[in-house]
Amino acid sequence: MAEYELDCLGEACPLPLVKAEKKLKEMEVGDVVIVLIDHSCAMKNVPEWARKEGHNVEIEEVDDGEWECVIEKCK
Amino acid sequence: MALKDNKFYKMWFKDAWPYLTGAVLLSLFQIVTLASTGNPWGVSGVLANWGAWLYQLVGGNVDKWYYFASEGAQKTLDAGILKHPGTYRNVGIIFGAFFASLMASQFKIKKLKSTKQIFAAILGGLLMGYGARIGFGCNIGALFSGIASFSVSGWVYAIFLFLGAWAGSKLLVKYFM
Repeated sequence: MAEYELDCLGEACPLPLVKAEKKLKEMEVGDVVIVLIDHSCAMKNVPEWARKEGHNVEIEEVDDGEWECVIEKCK
Repeated sequence: MALKDNKFYKMWFKDAWPYLTGAVLLSLFQIVTLASTGNPWGVSGVLANWGAWLYQLVGGNVDKWYYFASEGAQKTLDAGILKHPGTYRNVGIIFGAFFASLMASQFKIKKLKSTKQIFAAILGGLLMGYGARIGFGCNIGALFSGIASFSVSGWVYAIFLFLGAWAGSKLLVKYFM
């Protein structure tokens, strides 16, 4: 039940996605990673990819042009 | 009810429009551009003209350069930046993107994460600019308008676009992860 944070602020597609992918590979089932994003393209493709992989995803806009994507590893 | 919860605000300003909508609108505006100006839509050629006008402003002369030596190019440069329809289209792109991000409350001036980003952006921009002039267009003039004009070079561009994106993503992972 560990919780991690991935700071992808200031990074453009596809870096947040690749970093999230890499991080989730290292995580245990049940762990949570919070990805900080400020690129609207990543705001769409990170949750999309995570849902497709079967993980629980929530994305919240925390400031103008900034999002937090919470991903819980499920398998 | 707060504006940000309004259904139509979300639909038109907050959420990104579907790709199909974007494709249809791009095609329609391309047709309007071709019909009204006699030329297909292009972006990077206008930027080259902007560069020439800037250079002339500081005393430079581009008349002897091969690219600007033709009669048509000379006429365009002599007419000035405000007489060129491409100027308004390119400025419109900038202001349109700005307007869209403001309306979605997503405008942000991003911090630079590292100096590597600066060098990568400059190098990438130089390669893009050089390539766009060598190829007489970027993804708009060479690919989009090129294919719409039944130009084989548009398809060649498409092939190398995918090869370039593949190579670029490898470089991204290698240098920025």
